[in-house]
Amino acid sequence: MSRRGLHLRAAWFAAATVLVALLGAWLLFGRGGSPLQTDLLAMLPATERHPLAEQAVQRLAHANGDRMVLLVENADDARAKAAARALGKALAGDKAFASVLAELPAFDLAQFVAPYLAHRFWLLGDDDRAALAQPGYDPAQALARHLNEPFVAGVGVPLADDPFGWLQHWLEQQPWSRSPLLPEDDLLVAHQTDPAGGERTLVLVTAELAGSAYDDAVQRRALAALARAEQAMQHDDPGTTLLRTGAVFYAAAARAGAERDVHLVGWISTGGIALLLLWAFRSPGPLLLAFLSTAVGVAAATTATLLVFGQIHLLTLVFGAALLGEAVDYSIQYLAARANAGARWEPLAGLRQVRPALLLALATSLLGYALLGLVPFPALRQMAVFAMAGMLAACLSVFGLLPALLARPARPVAPSLVRLALALQRAVARLGKGRRGLALLLALVLLAAPGWWLLRHDDDVHLLIAQPPALLAQERAIRDATGLGNGSQFYLVQGASAEQVLQREEALAQRLQALVRDGRLHDWLGLARMAPSQARQRADHALLAPLFADPARLRKMLTDAGLRADAAAAYAAAWPGAPLKFEDWLATPAATPFRYLWMGCGAHGCASLVLPQGQDDVRVLAAAADGLAGVSLVDKPASVSALFGRYRGYASVWLLAAVLLIAPVFGWRYGWRRMPRVLAPPVLGIGLALAALGYLGQPLTLFHWMALMLVLGVGANYAVFLHEGEPHAAHRPGAMYASVLLSAVTALLSFGLLALSSMPALRGFGLTLLLGIGGTALLVPASRPVPADTAP
Amino acid sequence: MRRLTAFLLCCCLAAVARAGTDDALLRTVLDGLARHPQVRAEFVQTRSSPALAQPQVSRGRLLFVLGRGMLWQVESPYRETLALTGERTARLDAQGRAQPVRGERGVGQVSQMLQSMLAGRPDEVLRQFEVAASGSPARWSLRFVPRQARMARVLGAIVLDGGDYLDGIRIEMQDGAATDIRFSGTREAGGLSALEARALGGS
Repeated sequence: MSRRGLHLRAAWFAAATVLVALLGAWLLFGRGGSPLQTDLLAMLPATERHPLAEQAVQRLAHANGDRMVLLVENADDARAKAAARALGKALAGDKAFASVLAELPAFDLAQFVAPYLAHRFWLLGDDDRAALAQPGYDPAQALARHLNEPFVAGVGVPLADDPFGWLQHWLEQQPWSRSPLLPEDDLLVAHQTDPAGGERTLVLVTAELAGSAYDDAVQRRALAALARAEQAMQHDDPGTTLLRTGAVFYAAAARAGAERDVHLVGWISTGGIALLLLWAFRSPGPLLLAFLSTAVGVAAATTATLLVFGQIHLLTLVFGAALLGEAVDYSIQYLAARANAGARWEPLAGLRQVRPALLLALATSLLGYALLGLVPFPALRQMAVFAMAGMLAACLSVFGLLPALLARPARPVAPSLVRLALALQRAVARLGKGRRGLALLLALVLLAAPGWWLLRHDDDVHLLIAQPPALLAQERAIRDATGLGNGSQFYLVQGASAEQVLQREEALAQRLQALVRDGRLHDWLGLARMAPSQARQRADHALLAPLFADPARLRKMLTDAGLRADAAAAYAAAWPGAPLKFEDWLATPAATPFRYLWMGCGAHGCASLVLPQGQDDVRVLAAAADGLAGVSLVDKPASVSALFGRYRGYASVWLLAAVLLIAPVFGWRYGWRRMPRVLAPPVLGIGLALAALGYLGQPLTLFHWMALMLVLGVGANYAVFLHEGEPHAAHRPGAMYASVLLSAVTALLSFGLLALSSMPALRGFGLTLLLGIGGTALLVPASRPVPADTAP
Repeated sequence: MRRLTAFLLCCCLAAVARAGTDDALLRTVLDGLARHPQVRAEFVQTRSSPALAQPQVSRGRLLFVLGRGMLWQVESPYRETLALTGERTARLDAQGRAQPVRGERGVGQVSQMLQSMLAGRPDEVLRQFEVAASGSPARWSLRFVPRQARMARVLGAIVLDGGDYLDGIRIEMQDGAATDIRFSGTREAGGLSALEARALGGS
């Protein structure tokens, strides 16, 4: 190809790059709203066999997700209440919130109870149901007991409407009568005694966000408004503390952590790579070209990710920052070839020279990331797409863009670097020669064996989701004070109809009630408790029927007990009333706070959620659902952890299979006798990295194994670069290894910095790459004969 | 409902705790009552209500133990023993075994309120009620009126009266119902029987 051809190709490539970059910029900024995804849940794979369970997880996350739950706390009761009122007003005045609840609306007990009167002969509390079912049940005594209750009787439900107290007992079982928060001064208040014996007042304030908790703009506006209100609160009512929970806080913390990571990894690795390249190539030109090639890769990666997924996840961004170090390898190899060629440089000949190495390296990388993409984790898929697009574009830029820009010969690679590389290469190659090599191998294995022995593994979901301990502590405190469930474990109850769902809930409730009695469960929240199944209501009604069969006898019993005759007659005449219909109840205002528990009816039948409270031991909760038709415990964290474990197992098998696959390829290209030596460095690099992790006490996770896959891919590249490149650089001993070292150090700089990430998964990933790539790069010379001493 | 009972219960107990109000008489009364940490008495509870043709009268015995709670032992018109302790409300059967009564949930709160009260801080009650004292230390009366509009809509007032001991509690509801509890034969409790001690919890 002529010079003109080269320039034409470069022009086409540049135009395509600009178009891709423009498209990426539009996808990023042009559509309104930030495409940056901070939802932790979105990172997790679909784990539930039933699509409804997956929906339920989302539903619960959002029921609690798009609002802030705040507790205003002060030792001084009046201060706490004043602060809560002021906070409520301050937040309500801000556009970031759709609604704020601090002061309760006017509320009349009688109005609340009235709708239930029509259904009073169909609803029984658990104790009354059990008592009525006893053969020796004496209604007259139950009546006398209720009329003579100590201190008060018939509050809420008038005595005349409920002389036996059955409806009142049923109402007392409802969740709103059981909440630890009491209405006080028109606020929802709890009082706590701290360990020192002092009393503290806690006031609940909830604020509904005007948008999604994961929307960048909503997040910033809401947090800023809260910060302002909190500051004012602390100024006006000193000693007040604010406990907070809600997805918005976790999302903001995750964003802040990721931004810090991107800055740290991105800037330090960019700076480090720049210095390294300046030193190696002794001119700013190559540095700019290397970054140009990387920038092409990043632009293509971002655009491809946005095109495929519509948004880009935090984790991808952090990982992407680290990918810079690998994308720059292709241009480094080409730049090194130019530096080594000296005055004889010819861009196209140089390209032909590095082509096999680059394509082999690209193929192994693409293969590695494609395998990563096969794992059904949204987060990993995104990283895989990002990496594949980025590597492909960076590599293509070496073929399309760089030759036109690198027409003139360059100064050779820095002699100091070459000398260093040569000394290292000689030392390692000598150590690895013949029998000494075997001895070295044995020594390394002996050194590593205890580390392998120490290896443990860990599949906890919190590896992927690092939640700030301060936020978790506040959430726990709020849960303790308000009795809210933990939200990550719940029962999904399914049935063919609403009625069947409620019946199944009741079967579950029986088990849960037993747990509560044993003190192994605090409570639970379920719809069947508020609107029992028709079957249950009919059964309860049937328990009462004998009593009402003879109205005259009933009236006599009531008047004998002291009730006025007209009240007795009215009560007897109110029988039988009507059962409470689930659909009607669901439409009442009283059901509003609990409506999210109803999943509705669809192609899969109907479903509801039951939330256990005060028991985090999954085994206890799972046992309660055991053998019940249509009831399953959904435990998203455990499902994800199990999936991590399963893929960790696959990953270790895959790694072994990959080594076995590469062996014949190397055998074919480099001869069967040389093959073990070529393969040894990456395999040893993996082995030593594993041993080091064992010594460091780092439990192995799926992410460590994924990093080891990359170590194999990248490590094999180094062996390939050295073997393919050495014949072309025979006149400059050490120069080829110097370029391999350059590649390795840039990779270490970027991936290694991931070891400082705030996300545990990326930390493990980075550390493993640091150890594995470092070890492999050091061991690679042992796969070649000792270089000749005759340097030109 | 249940909570109101809890408030009322606390209110009675508050009367025997040392309160922190300026009212000299109130303080004298509370100090005086606090001198009797374990008390037995006979009670007659009379409840009148617009729904009732004639008042309901129940009689029985009461054991009150500061810091533990009370045993409310009805003897007529039926026999039943309720253990009203900080942790829970329970019905005792003939063998003295406690069967928890509904509303297990609110009890944690009652317990907290009681504990703060008995530690000498009837804050909860003073937060909920305005207290007015009248009479003399030998013949006093305390009137508790709810501060909370929500509660005032249901509950009119609670009146305690007595001399050396608490002699009576009167609870007036807004719907016209009233409960009058009179105590007689009030005396120091002396030792508790094993059954009583168990019923009131071993704490």
